[in-house]
Amino acid sequence: MIFVGKEYTDLGLSPEDMQGRMEKWFAWGSKMEKAGILRGGEALTPQIRRIVGENRTVTDLTSAEVKEIVGGFYLIEARDFDAVQKIAEDFPDYDLGNTVEIREIMVFDS
Amino acid sequence: MEHKVIDHLFRHHSGKMVSVLTRIFGLQHLDIIEDAVQDTFLKASISWRKQQPDYPEAWLTKAAKNRVLDIFRTLKTKQKHIGQLSTGTDAIAINELFLDKEIEDAQLRMIFTACHPKLDARDRISFALKTVSGFSTKEIASALLTKHETIKKRLVRARKSIQKADLKFSIPQGNALNERLETVMEVLYLIFNEGFHSNKKEQLIREDLCGEAMRLCRLLLKHETMRQPKVYALFALMCFHSARLASKTDTNNEVLDLKHQDRTLWHFPLIQLGNTMMNKAVETETFSSYHYEAAIAAEHLKARTFEDTNWDKILHWYQSLYELQPMPSHVLTMAVICLQNEDYKSANAYFKKLNPDALEQRKYLYYAAKADYYKATKDFKSALEHISEAINCVNNDLEKQYLLKKQEAWLLEFS
Repeated sequence: MIFVGKEYTDLGLSPEDMQGRMEKWFAWGSKMEKAGILRGGEALTPQIRRIVGENRTVTDLTSAEVKEIVGGFYLIEARDFDAVQKIAEDFPDYDLGNTVEIREIMVFDS
Repeated sequence: MEHKVIDHLFRHHSGKMVSVLTRIFGLQHLDIIEDAVQDTFLKASISWRKQQPDYPEAWLTKAAKNRVLDIFRTLKTKQKHIGQLSTGTDAIAINELFLDKEIEDAQLRMIFTACHPKLDARDRISFALKTVSGFSTKEIASALLTKHETIKKRLVRARKSIQKADLKFSIPQGNALNERLETVMEVLYLIFNEGFHSNKKEQLIREDLCGEAMRLCRLLLKHETMRQPKVYALFALMCFHSARLASKTDTNNEVLDLKHQDRTLWHFPLIQLGNTMMNKAVETETFSSYHYEAAIAAEHLKARTFEDTNWDKILHWYQSLYELQPMPSHVLTMAVICLQNEDYKSANAYFKKLNPDALEQRKYLYYAAKADYYKATKDFKSALEHISEAINCVNNDLEKQYLLKKQEAWLLEFS
């Protein structure tokens, strides 16, 4: 599950609101942990270094300068997309307009 | 892993850290400080998802301390003439400012700054809720039922007033302390009342405001020079009122008057705490308005049922309160108490003292009470006249519904 959208910092959330969201993330994380499906995950800082084109043009950006940013991801083990979709229902930031993208890790048969 | 974080930890910590950092860097850098503190919560809210620290509060304090250096760098690039900070003794001194006692001291300084007479009275509450209590402008707006833009303007204006008057970040001494303490208490009282009396708001916001006012009042009481009878009385008043908070509305969030509240919902520990505070409050010869208001609230709590209410005593406290604060609304209340007591002669005497227009938006209460008076004295024609007058000038929809229902019942009863 990849999380895409706005950063808290750019939305001007209050301390109370941030704490509330954090607690929802805790609850979600431990639910997955208890279910034994959590394999990893990271949160990403909002600094972006973008390298584009043959000239390898480099731009440094902050989250405020882009429409959407990948904020982090959870790696989980599940049967199929439907199973993950169900888990993704607890993502705490839908109300901020943020998105969960479910992608499957490609398995190469040898 | 234990996932529960103390309620309001971020909000309260925000107020603490903004205060401490302001003590270090001065009020003129409030913007930078608030941004920096906001940033530590952001960082916490994300990094704690993976691993929550054993001592969240200590983690936040440490993060804020680290911010000191960041802020210092920011300031240095902005203005050249700023001394060295990160060296030996200064660093030790800064560490000391993060001790609990010093954090409390810094918070008090912030409260007293927020209540400085150079600030417009309306700006004080917003500024206090932002800096001392860690509310966002949006939260303040919804708590005070005011537009977001208006709150923003008030905050900007408050800051400008602080810069213009070049206010020191300090607690006044001697006589000045007593004068300012009055304003501080008034601001806390207003914050509390915003939470307690506004019926339109969600229960949660109401509890937040009342809780904040109580937390700050308790902070005053921790300070020796402020441990005064009137401050104890204010705190007692808040305890007594909040004991009833849960019973004030029914499940549909509709307002219940004292007569219809479920008295078993009253929160007993708060009543006890209020009593303890009240015992300390009365160790004085001169009573403040908070003393009388607390006494009135306590009297209501003493009655097991509405019918058990000792109206004579309540009337007595109102008379004393009126002597201190000659406000027309107190006269109206006294008239209503006399009606409860079936003492129509005294009720009428109070009505005669009143000019309804002086009650402003509460004029309808005058007409409604007078309608009750006429009904009780069997002058049905005047009763109906007055209740129509009350319906004419009431603004609040819920209250209007209530009066219309009453009018309908009376029309049936009198015909």
